Amino acid sequence: MYPPATSVLPCSAGIGLRAPHYREVLGTLPKLGWVEAHSENFFGGGAPLHTLLAVRQHYAVSLHGVGMGLASPDPLNEDHLAALKQLCDVVQPARVSEHLCWNTVNGDVINDLLPFPHTHAALAHVASRIDHVQAVLGRQLLVENLSSYLSFTSSEMSEGEFLAELVRRTGCGILFDVENLYVNVRNLGVDEDEFIRAIPAHAVGEYHLAGFSVRDGCLVDTHDHPVYDAVWTLYEKVLRHIGPRPTLIEWDGNIPALPVLMAEADKAQQRMEACCVL
Amino acid sequence: MYSDSSLEPNQSLPLQGRGNVVVLNSKFKMNALHDELAEFSHAIIKGVPSSLGFVASPHYSADIGLEVYSNNYRGNLQDALAGAYPVIEQLVGADFFRQLARGFISLHGSCSASLFDYGAELGDFLEHDEPARALPYLPDVAKLEWACHRAYFATDVEPLNLARLSQVSADEYANIFLKVHPACYIVRSPFPIVALWQAHQPQGSFEINLASGGEIALISRQRDVVNVREITPDEAYWLRAVIHGKNLGMATVSTLETFPTFDLQNTLLLFASLGIWTDFTLGETS
Repeated sequence: MYPPATSVLPCSAGIGLRAPHYREVLGTLPKLGWVEAHSENFFGGGAPLHTLLAVRQHYAVSLHGVGMGLASPDPLNEDHLAALKQLCDVVQPARVSEHLCWNTVNGDVINDLLPFPHTHAALAHVASRIDHVQAVLGRQLLVENLSSYLSFTSSEMSEGEFLAELVRRTGCGILFDVENLYVNVRNLGVDEDEFIRAIPAHAVGEYHLAGFSVRDGCLVDTHDHPVYDAVWTLYEKVLRHIGPRPTLIEWDGNIPALPVLMAEADKAQQRMEACCVL
Repeated sequence: MYSDSSLEPNQSLPLQGRGNVVVLNSKFKMNALHDELAEFSHAIIKGVPSSLGFVASPHYSADIGLEVYSNNYRGNLQDALAGAYPVIEQLVGADFFRQLARGFISLHGSCSASLFDYGAELGDFLEHDEPARALPYLPDVAKLEWACHRAYFATDVEPLNLARLSQVSADEYANIFLKVHPACYIVRSPFPIVALWQAHQPQGSFEINLASGGEIALISRQRDVVNVREITPDEAYWLRAVIHGKNLGMATVSTLETFPTFDLQNTLLLFASLGIWTDFTLGETS
């Protein structure tokens, strides 16, 4: 009914597809490597899904979840997972990803991506939930490193070690958000080289890039600016160590005109190609 | 005549959040993780600077980090409200809307990971919010907007092919049970809420007489377009009977008792043209 464009992400730069650009993208079909959409925006079908399925006929699509709460202490919400499964069945996305974070405790939901202590107990908890999600979806999940404004003193390992162990235990992949790493370097003193070394290169399926803002000395992952030079530099370093992967420009606040977003994607594309030449 | 104001979905609003959950690993000792995150969550939701001993940054105080999370929490919910209630925001202005949103958020936490589920109770909140009561039509406009919001995200169902209805023999007409699209809602108000809503759409007209009487709004969706239109009291009465499970015969007889001039054929076709029918069955009882 909806012939898919392709079922794999091309190793090129794509953009996060947001509502203000739906009409223009479908009307002009610009040259985009691929697009990523937030899974929850399409749960239950409805009007937005019409658009996504139309987009899907022209571009490879990655579905990026912001609400699964893989590390939440509350039981995994099976209704949420079933909605994601249903969406995947219809859209047949090239990739499905979630964040390494939590959002629900004692029934209270915080609609944000929240950090947690990287303990062995949390590792077993998150791994068992990833196992379950992958079993239900019948596919590999990419898990994204988080941008954080605080770290937990009870952590027993770094986020990089935590992710590597998740890969080993569950076979999940990694969505490496380069801007999130940069935010954590600046906010929390994370060692970027240690993080990159910890990440198993074979597991990395996608990169994300975005722009942050600064409040009281804290870098906030607002996705409302162009990618900063320091993040481009870090991206180049990551490309050298891990290699090129499908790379996404995310822009969620003060969303610019489509050509601005595409120009950012071009910058990523050039860096990927330069990395391949070297 | 329409002194009541009510949202009448043909199916109950989706339950928010929680629902059907399973414990994946009950043996697992999660107490420490749970306790720290519960305390962390409390600090974020309440927005009170609390000295949590277990979170830190080497570059700024933990309070600054907590404040960022608190601001994100409230900002995301506020954006969700503004997204669902653009007409209310226009009616009261951005500053007043922010103030309303703050009050609402302090009373209503989120219980769904989807922000599109947040804000269902704003209409009821506006009925009791002292500053907002100066604009008595606000609650009903909010209910209309929430119905539009739910209609936009309602499950897709193909509309009924009317050729199928034409195959029903005339003596069976009374026994037709029509199924109504999940994006169909009725909102009634003692105020001209459809005119108010339309005035705040692009190319809307601002000539509204608030004393012009009540209106009944029918909200529906065709593919990706949500429609809002005024329907007459007899049309609403009849549609409500159909939604509540009456067959065509029963719905029409009871409507004619109250509205002797009710026109069944035109009403059926009007609703068909709005994509409200999705299917039908035949029988004397539903």
